[in-house]
Amino acid sequence: MTKKDVLPDPVRRSMFAIGCIAVGAATAGFLAATFRFLVPNVLYEPSRRFDIGPPSDFPPGAVTFLPDRRLYVFNGPDGFYAISSICTHLGCNVKRGGPGFECPCHGSRFDENGQVAQGPAPKALAWYALSLSPHAQLVVDLDQQVSPEFRLRA
Amino acid sequence: MSQTIGSRTLTWLDGARRSVCRIGWPATDKDRAAAMISSLFLHIHPARVSRHVLKPTYTFALGLISGILFIVLAVTGLALMLYYVPYPPEAYRSMKDLQFVVTFGIVLRNIHRWSAHAMVGVVFLHMCRVFWTGSYKPPREFNWVIGVVLLLLTLGLSFTGYLLPWDQLAFWAITVGTNIAAYAPVVGDQVKFLLLGGHMIGPMTLLRFYVLHCVMLPLAMLLLISLHVWRVRKDGLSGAEIHASPTEELAGAFPASTKTYGLMAIGKRPRASVEARDPNDEVFAWPHLLYRELLVALAVIIVLHIVSLVFMAPLEEIADPTRTPNPAKAPWYFLGLQELVHYSALMGGVIVPTLLVLALLAVPYVDRGAAGSGRWFAPERKMANTIFTSLAAVFVVLTIVGTLFRGANWAWVWPWK
Ligand code: HEM
Ligand code: FES
Repeated sequence: MTKKDVLPDPVRRSMFAIGCIAVGAATAGFLAATFRFLVPNVLYEPSRRFDIGPPSDFPPGAVTFLPDRRLYVFNGPDGFYAISSICTHLGCNVKRGGPGFECPCHGSRFDENGQVAQGPAPKALAWYALSLSPHAQLVVDLDQQVSPEFRLRA
Repeated sequence: MSQTIGSRTLTWLDGARRSVCRIGWPATDKDRAAAMISSLFLHIHPARVSRHVLKPTYTFALGLISGILFIVLAVTGLALMLYYVPYPPEAYRSMKDLQFVVTFGIVLRNIHRWSAHAMVGVVFLHMCRVFWTGSYKPPREFNWVIGVVLLLLTLGLSFTGYLLPWDQLAFWAITVGTNIAAYAPVVGDQVKFLLLGGHMIGPMTLLRFYVLHCVMLPLAMLLLISLHVWRVRKDGLSGAEIHASPTEELAGAFPASTKTYGLMAIGKRPRASVEARDPNDEVFAWPHLLYRELLVALAVIIVLHIVSLVFMAPLEEIADPTRTPNPAKAPWYFLGLQELVHYSALMGGVIVPTLLVLALLAVPYVDRGAAGSGRWFAPERKMANTIFTSLAAVFVVLTIVGTLFRGANWAWVWPWK
């Protein structure tokens, strides 16, 4: 058998490995870019900061539930405050019940300040910042969580 | 004269038939083997199979039924897509249309829904069968791993499909389900954000679930089922070896079983032989195996139709994010987890499922050695079987409790009261 009979490999094994690595790296880069593509830049959701009407809509001592916003708004003796109705366990709507709130899904209970009293909920209901707009409207900011000491005097 | 016209027509027809299907009804053994091997669709079968493979009590055809259900789901799903609009609230209206306006819409929807539920159960039972017969032992370790991924894909397909009707049931099941995902440490919130395409379940979520449900997951499933079945074909069904008497003389004297490979141009024999080497133990896949498969497919289709004519797939009121039904339940196959989540969300939602999946993936690499493979409940495998059966039983009991014994506020109820 002469050398001519043996067809030489068109590439060396090392070149083949380099080729594989190059294609792999290109694919990885492409996938990373695609991953970023999955994160939306604009959300067509209701604004996270919105007004809920003038303070006079909320009579003193009353609790108002805003179902669309999933929010309880209180007008207490020291001022206004807002507590989320989204259960911190798995996101059901808590209802007013007992002294505070009750969740229908897995039986979590919260006291009147939204602190966990019982059940699987791992943390207290969220409190959101309230402010007064130049047009004398109450404004809620869902991106600004506050502590249960928060009160807005209006 | 008319004779010649008649026979010429016949010859012409026969020629046309041959252009489509080269072998006629196989009458000789050679043709029976060729029928299997020369068809793209049939050649996932070997030409000859061990009698052991045909015993219904070995596999209970559970893998086959999983595959049939996948095909039924693909066909009915494609039909449903022609009416379904993945945008709220039209999504809900198109479900109503399917139910009340489109001819046979309700039957198609029912078949799709009930097959999806059945598939979760059947795939789970198939996994149990494979475990109890020790069929993940070498050389089939990796096929078990592919199987675990198939189980996860089955659950993912069911879960993404659950949102599409956009009714109260769908909305709150997905609320609970995606919030469980959010408990994953570090990445939980980001995973939820990506899955929902935002902070809340809305049009973006529906679109994402729709694309996952109708395109991405089915394609992944198709690919992996092909790989899974291909490996079953290469490795042969477990158990055939121990039922045959492999003597070298016979293997030499009956070259038929190696010939299969010659025709398929495969150089090396797989480690476990596809066919038992004892020719007395072998029968031709055509018609023995094929006929049995046809019967199983027929039975599955009949049962699905009866169930779908009698039981209606649920459709509640349109999704209302402001009103939580009481109780809000995840799909039934997640209710075991939800029952655990009721005690601790981190435990039931993250730690237990992660450990379960890792344990399943590791099974063939931890439980090593070939002893006790290919038989139901081999005594050598008592320990492995006991552990697996106890875990599976706990999971089934939790699922039943979550499904039937939990009412408003997740309080304990007796289902018969
Ligand atoms: C979509 C889901 C699945 C489909 C369509 C499928 C299909 C099949 C089929 C048709 C077989 C041939 C034997 C039989 O009919 O039982 C098989 C065997 C096998 N399956 Fe699956 N399977 C699925 C899921 C799984 C799962 C979840 C596991 C385990 C975690 C698994 C592990 C195996 C193994 C190890 C074998 C070889 C068994 C033997 O040789 O006895 N499969 N599968
Ligand atoms: S969602 Fe409120 S207790 Fe689970």
